Order: sequence, then C-alpha cells, then structure tokens
Amino acid sequence: MKVLDVQGLCVQYHTEKKNQSKAGDAGSETLHGVSFSVEEGEIVGLVGESGSGKSTAMLAVMGLLKGKAEVSFERMSLCGEAPVPGRNAAMVFQDAQSCLNPTVKVGRQIAETIRARRGCGRKEARERAEELLDQVGIHNPRLRMKQYPFELSGGMRQRVVIAAALACEPKLIIADEPTTALDVAVQAQIILLLKRIVRETGTSLLLVSHDMGVTAALCSRVYVMRQGRIAEYGTAEEIFYSPREAYTRRLLRDAKGFRRLSAGGKERRPLLEIRYLTKEFDTMEGIRDVSLEIFEGETFALAGESGSGKTTLARILSGILTEDSGEILYRGERLERKRSGSVCGGKIQMVFQDPYAALNPCLTAGQALEEALRGAGRISGKELTREERRERIGAVLEQAGLRREDADRYPREFSGGQRQRICIARALITEPELLICDEALSSLDAGAREQILSLLLEIQKERGIACLFISHDMHVVRQVSDRIGVMYGGSLVEAGRTKDVCSDPWHPYTKQLIESVPEPDPLKAAKLKSVPVTETPVREGRGSLLSPKKLPPVGCPFAGRCGYALECCASEAPGSRRFGSREIRCFLYSEAHSGKRSEGYEMTSQI
Amino acid sequence: MLRYTMKRVLTGVLSLFVLATVTFFLVRLIPGSPFQRGGVSSQVVEAVEEEYGLNEPMLDQYLTYMGSLLRGDMGISYQDPGTEVAEIIGRAWPITASLGITALAAAMILGTALGVIRAVAENRALREIISAGSMLAAGIPSFAAAILLMLLFSVKLRMLPASGLLSPVHYILPTAALSLYPAAVISRLTGNTLRAELQKDYVLFARAKGLGKWRTIFTHALKNAYLPVLSYAGPASASLLTGSFVIESIFTIPGLGREFVSSVTNRDYTLILGLTVFMGTVVIAVNLLTDLLCAWLDPRMRRAYREEDV
Repeated sequence: MKVLDVQGLCVQYHTEKKNQSKAGDAGSETLHGVSFSVEEGEIVGLVGESGSGKSTAMLAVMGLLKGKAEVSFERMSLCGEAPVPGRNAAMVFQDAQSCLNPTVKVGRQIAETIRARRGCGRKEARERAEELLDQVGIHNPRLRMKQYPFELSGGMRQRVVIAAALACEPKLIIADEPTTALDVAVQAQIILLLKRIVRETGTSLLLVSHDMGVTAALCSRVYVMRQGRIAEYGTAEEIFYSPREAYTRRLLRDAKGFRRLSAGGKERRPLLEIRYLTKEFDTMEGIRDVSLEIFEGETFALAGESGSGKTTLARILSGILTEDSGEILYRGERLERKRSGSVCGGKIQMVFQDPYAALNPCLTAGQALEEALRGAGRISGKELTREERRERIGAVLEQAGLRREDADRYPREFSGGQRQRICIARALITEPELLICDEALSSLDAGAREQILSLLLEIQKERGIACLFISHDMHVVRQVSDRIGVMYGGSLVEAGRTKDVCSDPWHPYTKQLIESVPEPDPLKAAKLKSVPVTETPVREGRGSLLSPKKLPPVGCPFAGRCGYALECCASEAPGSRRFGSREIRCFLYSEAHSGKRSEGYEMTSQI
Repeated sequence: MLRYTMKRVLTGVLSLFVLATVTFFLVRLIPGSPFQRGGVSSQVVEAVEEEYGLNEPMLDQYLTYMGSLLRGDMGISYQDPGTEVAEIIGRAWPITASLGITALAAAMILGTALGVIRAVAENRALREIISAGSMLAAGIPSFAAAILLMLLFSVKLRMLPASGLLSPVHYILPTAALSLYPAAVISRLTGNTLRAELQKDYVLFARAKGLGKWRTIFTHALKNAYLPVLSYAGPASASLLTGSFVIESIFTIPGLGREFVSSVTNRDYTLILGLTVFMGTVVIAVNLLTDLLCAWLDPRMRRAYREEDV
C-alpha cells in the first residue's frame, strides 16, 4: 500500500525574500513536476547534489514552505489524507543541535509533542517520552529527560530528535541528511537505529542524503534528483549496480573515493617534526605524547572522532595554544614562538571550519587579506608597498577562484563556499609551506565541498605546499591524503600511508573507524557494524558534570572499548612502534605479545 | 548557584562601602556649609556645626558615620532636624516604587506585545507602523513627553489630573511618560531578537513536530528571545525604581528623585549619603535579580555559574 504518493510537485520560491531561513537561501531553486511514492514500512532514498531540490521537496511535502514559496501539485496524499506535520508525518533534520531549543529540557521537548498529538496529561506524556528515549537507545532516560541539549553529545542529540519525531506516531518520517553532521562511528549507530525503528514501528522512512554510502546502507528504493527533476529511480540494486544515467554514475564514482587526487610528496625531506607533544586541559580535549612528521609537499590527514585531540594539535602547531611539553621542529629547527603567537613568519597557516565565523564581518575581503600580509611582513621584516600588496591580493584571490574585484566586497556578500575561498586566499597570501585545514570542508554543502577540495589540491600541486588535513569524514580523508594519522583519546594510535591504513588497518580502533564508513554498495553496506562511542556522563544530582574529555591517567585510551584489550592495556600506555612506513601504538604489536622477532621479520595485522 | 549568589552579595556590599566612602568625601568638597543661609551669622553656623560634629577631623567624622551606618542608622537630616534620613526614605520610596513598578509593568507588557506583533505580523504596514512608532517614542525625552501628555490630557481635554498621586487615575500620566522610552526599547529588542529566533531550525522543527504557531512562539522562541531583553530591562528597572527627578518635578510627586535633588542643593550631607547608599542598594539588588532571572531562563548560564562554584 502506498503511504506517500506525490505527483507533479512544483515549487517556486518567492524571489524577494532572499534573506529568509536556510530553505530560502536556495533562492531560485525550483522543482518542476517531481513525483515519488513510498510504500508502507519501506525506506526510500532521495539522493542528489546539494541544490538539486531534495530538501525543498521535503519541506513542500511537510507544508513548511508557507509564505516562502509557491507550491502546487497534482496529487499529494499520505494514506489518503494531506500530510500534516505532527499528525501523520514527522521530520528529522541534519543538525540536531540547532533543532533542539537550547533552553528547554529535552524531556519536555519530546513530551510537548506527545501532548499536542494525544492531548494527554503531563504525567502520561512524560512516561511515554521515557519509553521513546529508551527505544532510540538512550540509557538512563529518566535522568536524560532532565538534561538540556548542550549537555548531550551530538549522536545523543540526534537520537532525541528521532524520539521527538517518533512522538508524533507518524506514518512517515522524513529524514533530511540525518547523519551528515556526525562522526563516522556515530553515523553508523544512527543508521542502524533508523533501520531498527522502521522495523519495530512499521513507519515508512524517506531519507534525503547526498551520501551514497548512507543511502546504500538504508534504502530499498532510490530516487536520484537533479536540478529539480527526478533523473532516475529504481531499486537500490538497480541504482547502485546498473545506473542508467551518467549523472548517477558520476555520483557513485565520486562516492567510491580512492581517487588519488593528491599531489604526492616526492622529496622526502621532513618539513615539520613533532616529538612527544603533550597538552592537557581540564575540560577540553587534550593530547598526550603525540609524535609525527609531515614531509614537504605531502598531505597528511588526521582522522578520529570529535574530542580525540585533532583540533588541539592543529592549534598548537598554528601557535594559538602552547604545548605543555614536547617539541616541534620546523625544517630541523625548533619552532620559536613570537609574542604575537604567529610562528615562522606566516609559513604555517590555518583554514578554519566555519567560514562564517572566521571572517571579520566589518572587513572587506581585501582588508582581511591585507591584514594577514602585514602581519606576516612584520614578523619577517619585509614590508611591501601599497601597490605590491594590492597586486598580491588580486593574484591570490584569482588563484582561489575569485575575481580581483571581490577584494572590495564584504563577507556577507559571499556564499559559504566563496567565504571559504577567501579564508584559503588569506592563508595563501603569506606563501605558507604548511597549510592546516581544520575541518575546512565540514560546514559546506556537498557541491561547495567538492569545489573547495579540488581548489586545495590544485593549489597544492602548483605551489608544493604541505597540508595537514583534519577531518572526521573518512571519504574525504581517503581522497586527499598521502598519509594518515588516526587519533583516539588524545593519542596518535596509528599512522601510515593512507592506502595501507585504510585497506588494512592494524589498530583495533582504526579498524572500527574504517568499518563504520558505509560503502556505496547495498550488499556491503548491509554489513555495517555499530561502534561503541563514549557517552557524556549523566549529571548526578545537582553537582556539575564530570569533565568527559579528561584523559585517563594511565593505560591505552582505547582499552575500555577495545575487543582485543590485554591486561597491560589498562595499566600501562603502549609505546610507539614503527614497522616500515607504519607507526602504531598498541600492545598487540609489542614483542611481549608476538614474541621475539628476527631481523627480516615483517609485521602484519594482528587483528 | 548559592555560592555564586553569596559572592555577588558580598561584592555588592563591598561596592556599597566604596560608594559610601567616595560620596562621604565628595559631599564635603561642595563649597559652603550645610547651615550657611542668607541671614545666619558665622558664629551661629560654627556653633551648629560643632553641635553636629562637623568641626572634628574628617577621618573621625567618617569613622563615626560608617559606624552608625553599619548599625543601620543613617542619621538625621540637617535641613529637617526633627526627622531621620530613614524616615524620609520610608516616606518617599513607596511613592517612587509604586510608580516605578507600574511603569515597569506597563513597559514590559506593552513592549513585549508590540515586539511580538512586529516579529510575526504578516501585514507589512502594521510592522512598519510599530517600527516607526517605537523609533519615534525612543527619540522623545521623558520631560518633553511628560509636558506634551500633560498639555493634551490635563489642560486641553481635562480628562486626567495633572499632579499628585492621590488615586489610581493620577498614575496614568506619569506612568505613560516614564514607560514610553523603555517600552519603545523593549519592543524594538523583542521584535529583532524574536525575528532572528524564529528563523532558527528549532522553530522549524517545533512546527514539524506539530506544535501550533503561537505555541511555538510562546513556549520556544520567546524564551530565547527574551534573554537580551532582560539584560536591558534589569538596569532600566533599577533606574525606574530609584525615581526620576524630572518626572517627579513635573507632576509634583513627593518621591525619591525630588528628595535627592533638593538634598544636594541644600548640602544636606546625611540625606545625600543616605539616599546614595539606598539607591546603590536598589541598583545592586536589581542587577543581581536580573542575572539570577537570566540564569533561570538559560541553563547554559546556570551551568557557567555553577562551575564557578567549584
């Protein structure tokens, strides 16, 4: 039986209200006669690049475009009725953080939905909300109910949002990029949760995603959207194994990764060496005894879940933070920290995650660039004349894919992707030798992400800049990096050539991390496994939260979650061992575990 | 939280101590003696000064005054030897406070209502009218507003009484004059923050959960929109509660503001000091209350305060 049946859906945005919400940002995006349907208890995927109209279609179905766009259709029925949000349809959005009201307890945010739906009393609603939280896999729901969204982890927030959606007892749940903002490990959990929810409650699920892997892991039928039209549809097997349209084939090719786009470092001279770097915090992610080297012109990726210390490491390298102990060698010399905090006269530059926050709204693009240039000039003692500076700014803007005239425009006049280009131009203008990209792509949509990625690679190829690329997105990491370092709990647990590490992980954590990335292949993705994730502790009574990020005093940070943990793992920190190009911190690779080795012994994966 | 409150109370007391000290020495810098009048000979003035202990060394006077202040005794008024300073405050403050609270309530209710309407109204003309009106209202100084209102309603239309605070009807004009500016500011603040809040995803999600439009506004958006409003309303209510000299003069209301100004012109040392310390207490208390209210609304702030406790 068809649960949702949509025929000939057309949407035309009102053009005058450009600065309306996110949906309105799409501006001229329109739908031209889109038709799709969902069967009972079925998971249907809607894929396509950003800007193809996926989200618009969903908002139109939910009737949430009122006042923003003109919506017309030949047929729109949900079990024979019009879709009414909260009554027969519910929606889960991408960013669980912004979907929950920050000042209202999560329990109430679920219970109010139940009350609005059933018109029942507070107590009954509260009991039902507890049941729902339990159903979406939140332990200790009674205590969690009393917490505020900011006290929960990202994965847990998304679970709360799913619980709130379930509270409507909907016939259909629309999930708009439900896992895009999450770590791979958490993403795998949410995928499995959605699958279980559909099986248990018999509701239908319409998944909107740009991620072919997630789609393959969940959906039995897939619609491919392009420029406001359905380009192709069919069962998951048809779409993934024998796509008809060139567009679909391109999406699949992009998703398969391993494109070896990287410029590759031929000279093997170390640019940056980090030795036993340690920084501890009470409340933030710290790092402990991290040693790694980055060679000239190569791309080194740092992967790991949030809170693993990636950002802390990047901030120490860029001079925003200072290390507690350990040393950093730049071209064999100890890094000197200037009073201004900047290091090496702008030879190490950083591109941040959020291009909206990283640019001063009161400075034009040109002024922001000039500031960076002057700062670097002051350190290196080379002051440029006004004309020289102008010329440099123009040149670097062009290189970043913008126009010279854009120097006089303010950040608000640019889109997210363009702003990130300004940030890249700002980093490039001091002619750095190492570019640190801290999640530089995560806040961009898929289309802009692709463009910025190719821009970075192009620049790297041209200038031979080394790049420290920090990301939680394993797809991107695999595409861009020559070598990869995997961090967990403030330790660098494994490092090596990206190809080796991704195809044959040695460390138990790396293995979990790689396995939790869904492949764009329905058969493989069906085997997706869940990975346990550290949960933020529940606040007991009225006391403050225990700081969850504090490093365990001794032992391997992964010991508590590791299936291979030995006795020594909890009491002693494993030292770093090197086998060829690979470096690993795990007792499985110690001589005590695998026995004495002869000269020519070649280590293989122990797991 | 309790620890935080205690800390704030303690720093408040310290500020009051500094305030009293500075004021004590400042008033003595005003040229002339409190008892100098046109027809009074200098011998008499000296005799009276001795009577009040004003000829003693400044430091001794200060210690004596602070000592009695600690015991809760603010001394007697120099101009009106029969009455204690506490008595004057006790007489004038209820008048000022009743007017201040009425004005505050009026400003909050009117400002919030207009702000909400401005944020959600679909009728563009209505939005523009409210916006322009609040801008105009924020631009009129309170004394001009007071005189205009008095001219219109008391002199021309003869609808409302022009002076005193004898009956509830008397409250209407001064309340209107006092609350005009804060109401305008609150309506602009509420309108702007609420409109920004309504664009956020959690509002969209609340609608997708099936909550009604007004329910979403009142249970979700307004709570978050109100935080910046409160941080304005707090200090504003402190100034309303300590009285406005201008408004009290125009409407001949025997309130705190008027007492304060006359005490300064009369060089009534004890009264100036007493009123300053009292008003300081009100300001500090109201600001603390505002912060606690914000913490009550915003769990993130509450957590920050709690972490300070540890």
